[in-house]
Amino acid sequence: MTFNASSYVDPEFGSVDRRIFWSPEIYELELERIFARSWLFVAHESQLEKPGSFLTTYMGQDPVIVSRDAQGINVFLNSCPHRGNRVCFADSGESRQFTCNYHGWAFGLDGALKRMPKMGIYKATPGFRMEDWGLKRARVASYKGLVFANFDEAAPSLDEWLGDFRWYLDAVLDAEDGGTEFLPGGATRSVLNCNWKFPADNFVGDIYHALWTHLGGAEPTLGPHGGVKVENERSWHVSVNGHGWEFNDSFYGNAATMGDREVLRYMRSRQEAITKRLGEFRANMWGSVASSTIFPNFSFLPGYFTFRTFQPKGPTRTEIHAWTLVPRNMPDEIKDRFRRGSMRTFSPGGILEMDDGENWEHSTAVNAGWVTRHQRLCYAMNPQDEMAETGLAGNVRAGQLSDFNQREFYRQWMKMMDASSWQDIELAPVAGPAAEAVE
Amino acid sequence: MNASASTRPDYSTYPRLTMAEARDAARQLIAMRGAGSTVDDVRLLSLQRFYAMEARLLDEERYQEWYELLADDLFYWLPLRQNRHRREGGDGADPDAMAFFDDCKADIAVRVGRLASGLAWTEDPPTRHVYVISNVEGFETGVAGELEVHSTFIQYRNRSEHDDATIVGRRRDLLRIAGDGYMIARRLVLVPQSVLLTKNLSVFF
Ligand code: FES
Ligand SMILES: [Fe+2]
Repeated sequence: MTFNASSYVDPEFGSVDRRIFWSPEIYELELERIFARSWLFVAHESQLEKPGSFLTTYMGQDPVIVSRDAQGINVFLNSCPHRGNRVCFADSGESRQFTCNYHGWAFGLDGALKRMPKMGIYKATPGFRMEDWGLKRARVASYKGLVFANFDEAAPSLDEWLGDFRWYLDAVLDAEDGGTEFLPGGATRSVLNCNWKFPADNFVGDIYHALWTHLGGAEPTLGPHGGVKVENERSWHVSVNGHGWEFNDSFYGNAATMGDREVLRYMRSRQEAITKRLGEFRANMWGSVASSTIFPNFSFLPGYFTFRTFQPKGPTRTEIHAWTLVPRNMPDEIKDRFRRGSMRTFSPGGILEMDDGENWEHSTAVNAGWVTRHQRLCYAMNPQDEMAETGLAGNVRAGQLSDFNQREFYRQWMKMMDASSWQDIELAPVAGPAAEAVE
Repeated sequence: MNASASTRPDYSTYPRLTMAEARDAARQLIAMRGAGSTVDDVRLLSLQRFYAMEARLLDEERYQEWYELLADDLFYWLPLRQNRHRREGGDGADPDAMAFFDDCKADIAVRVGRLASGLAWTEDPPTRHVYVISNVEGFETGVAGELEVHSTFIQYRNRSEHDDATIVGRRRDLLRIAGDGYMIARRLVLVPQSVLLTKNLSVFF
């Protein structure tokens, strides 16, 4: 298909062609140009502590197995090279090998083909080499507990891909000694009939919707119309390579809507130590009114500490997989409060999440209309967005009520969709550690 | 705080379970496998009547009346289902794992509060519900006035033009006899889907 992404996205003024949320051809190209060559989140190291532990997930629509052997974490396709059958059907577990149900080919924890029934026949087959028929491996790299994988050999490193966004990620990944973990018991998973970009775009920069969408969910814990308070004072958008974080400096603003005083008391008790560790500016990002997306489809909410992937399942179908991340050293009692608090707010049964999915589904479904589909969507809020005088790394803009991060998200989307190889995609230069404190 | 905020209920005063009590309740639900002697037919009929009435309250979104059926020490649990190999124990519900509902009565009050706020746009125009309750079995627990009851349900929702969702599942309840009726003290909701094939659970089971 001849496709020119820059005719679909105007990141300067801020408008986006709706066909990118609907067209099967564009979706196919996204699988190739976005998902098959981006670093995609696959696991948290705490899910794979012991050699032999594994989980299954997706990279784009490609099913993968993530497993730990004595050497480290491996990621490979969950599809047998013999006749293509899915090899592992469990969500997670422990195993010494993966044996395909169809003819019994067996693969090691690194995906290598180890044996099969009637192996002698293959051994005697001219040109057949066991090492040619393992499960296809992806590159693997991690950042402070988060494991990412990439199927493109030409892609730059994970560190280059995250760039200066790493410094901000430390506000949730490195706030406490001992690192972080995912709460045990797997992911909450649910299906939405929407294009995957709507939730990713919502998390990358759309605090605006919370003022309206979440009124009903916020009322019981925050009071009638007392809802989420969003000011453009002391708040920011930061964007790096399409990854974005919108936030204020409220320290536990998001956490407050869980309605659990013990959680707030605990967070307050940690404020001084975290400030010492991260500096005041980043410490205030720990649980503040904020949301973030790591391009393309990995998002989180500080405060609730819900981490989620928006797994593409077709142009109009997305599966949400969500976990809760906590500092490893947090007392068990508080971890349990976060488990229940994040579930009650941001799970399919959560009083805040319940109001989101419907919006994304209908923003997608209306594009069945040919005329509707040919209207552009408005991403023009706060176009002045002056570079904030923070001295911080990345593209930092003042104010939380802005479409800045969303415009940058679609700019990255456009760059990757137009580029036939990584040689044509330029990432932001890494400025290195930013100033420790901002007044 | 604005003036109207002072009229909102103080949920911190609502009935709660401690973390230990909730975990005990979860373990009790896991252990409820219909081991007691079955209740007599008169009792069974009254249980069926109770569930039909409860289903009707939920059909008609009479949430406050439904809330009155909940005991103060309620534990209401909808655990995750996972695909695990049989050799690893298969899919046993884990009291310490993430869940879709892991609620005490105060949490249900918050959920009812959302629905009653008039601000939950995704319920306006209203959802149309049908609950079908079947396979009701009652067992003695050995505790006077308490019954273990198993049932199955189909919960069908439809709203707007084409939005529809069907959740089929199984419930295990611990009921307390209260006059002619019952109070729900524990409820385990087992939904077979490991990936929830619907966008939300803005509904009770
Ligand atoms: S398809 Fe896997 S062994 Fe044949
Ligand atoms: Fe939202």
